[in-house]
Amino acid sequence: MSLRREVREVQIVQVLAYGILLGGMYALLASGVTLIFGVLDVVNVAQGAFLVMSALFTWQVWSVTGIEPLLLIPVNAALLFVIGWIIYRGMVARVAPQGPSMTVLLMFGIALVIEGTLNLVFGNKFKSVTPEYFTWSVKIGDIVLPVPQLISGVLAIAILGLIYVFLRVSWAGRAVRATAQNREGAALVGISHKTASALAFGIGAATAGAGGVLLSIMYPVYPATQYDWIARLLGIIVLGGLGSIPGAVAGSLLLGVMEAFAVTYVPQWSTLFFYGTILAILVFRPQGLMGSVTREDVV
Amino acid sequence: MGDALLTMRDVQAGYGGGLVLQGVDLELEPGSITCIVGPNGAGKSTVLRVISGLLTASAGSVRYDGQELVGRSPADILRAGIAQVPQSRALFPHMTVRDNILMGGYIIRRERELLRQRVSMVEELIPLLKDRSNDYAGNLSGGQRRMVEIGRALMLDPRLILMDEPSLGLDPKSVATVAELIREVTSTGRTVLLVEQNVRLGMNLARYGVVMEQGKVALTGDADGLADNPEVASMYLGRAKDQP
Repeated sequence: MSLRREVREVQIVQVLAYGILLGGMYALLASGVTLIFGVLDVVNVAQGAFLVMSALFTWQVWSVTGIEPLLLIPVNAALLFVIGWIIYRGMVARVAPQGPSMTVLLMFGIALVIEGTLNLVFGNKFKSVTPEYFTWSVKIGDIVLPVPQLISGVLAIAILGLIYVFLRVSWAGRAVRATAQNREGAALVGISHKTASALAFGIGAATAGAGGVLLSIMYPVYPATQYDWIARLLGIIVLGGLGSIPGAVAGSLLLGVMEAFAVTYVPQWSTLFFYGTILAILVFRPQGLMGSVTREDVV
Repeated sequence: MGDALLTMRDVQAGYGGGLVLQGVDLELEPGSITCIVGPNGAGKSTVLRVISGLLTASAGSVRYDGQELVGRSPADILRAGIAQVPQSRALFPHMTVRDNILMGGYIIRRERELLRQRVSMVEELIPLLKDRSNDYAGNLSGGQRRMVEIGRALMLDPRLILMDEPSLGLDPKSVATVAELIREVTSTGRTVLLVEQNVRLGMNLARYGVVMEQGKVALTGDADGLADNPEVASMYLGRAKDQP
């Protein structure tokens, strides 16, 4: 095998690994959005704002105390869970009976309020959390990966795994899934729709809380970064099939890998590749990658 | 009828602006099957939704075993011993049959031993649930889904079961299986309130019949007597009384 070919193969594996790590990050955040949609029929367009809020909070705490930023993952996740719970019980639950369009407007309004507040507090400038390992990279076999991306991707996948186990094994998680699959059926077995919805909203927001910490060590952020993120996340959940967590994960990994290859080989076209992939797949599979596949021929 | 297990008095309820139930009076005898029949839009399913708490009555009272049910949550009503098997599509399609059955015991989830016993009891009564326990509910046929729905309702060992058109969309063989299961369910003293478009099946299963029209109870009586009523026979059984 020629040296040139060998180098090319190593580079492909490296880009693939990077794409999977990036996809893991997308998967964590997108699963939060799709969980909320699945249970509540609410498109949480404020997820990007939640994410940036968490990232900037991380920057603030890190820059003042010098604390290891990753230690803030449980703190920010818990904080955003509570904020999500309050937003659901205080606002979304009241507006939801008016229909999905009103909740989209509500969540967009909340995103703007968060962005405006962050602008006032942090200013409209990029902030970067740069712990000691920010510039490190690690060699695994022949491939080299930046440590922040590696940590973020691995932790994002691990957190996603925890959420998956929670939803599969715990009664609270089963109640959330049951409500997502059949709201009336859930009520008939005694599950409170409001409690399950508040829990789903809280978990969805918590993914942004945890993701914000991971984001802060990967990329510089400023308040308006939320638009870039929410656009990507909405694209991912539509691609995966609205409300489907496995779909969101599959879509995230696919787009993470696509983006990594595009950034490496055709960087000027990377954004086009990201959204172009979504468009191309939806043309042939409008229900998304993992839209409903259950029998519809029976009542 | 002796002391009623459930009594509805002048119940009014509806969706949005209009009233679907316009003063319903109904009594259920303990241990009996009562079947409600009537044309589409008469309010049959709405009666069940009011009893199970999915819909709150705007007026009137629903008393069950000495307790008022109006205003109580579906979970509270389940705890009181009333379970509903809704019209269709009530399962969790992306959960396995076993998980669907387990979810029927959601309100007793902390009593693990009881939960385990109930799963065994239900699987013994409906062997299909054990045979298909790892299949996703969304991949079952209509008849199989109905069995899972009934099994799920039995997880709380309810005294009163509300069944909304259990034969809907089923082939004749599945209808017979479901009918047999309903008879078995009541053989241990449970009370069943049944809504059924298949009037012949419903009256055949039931001891008492109720005819609803335009949100009110138009006729009540023994199921056999109602089936012989010329008006009911011609409207719902497709024949006059004297015809075979």
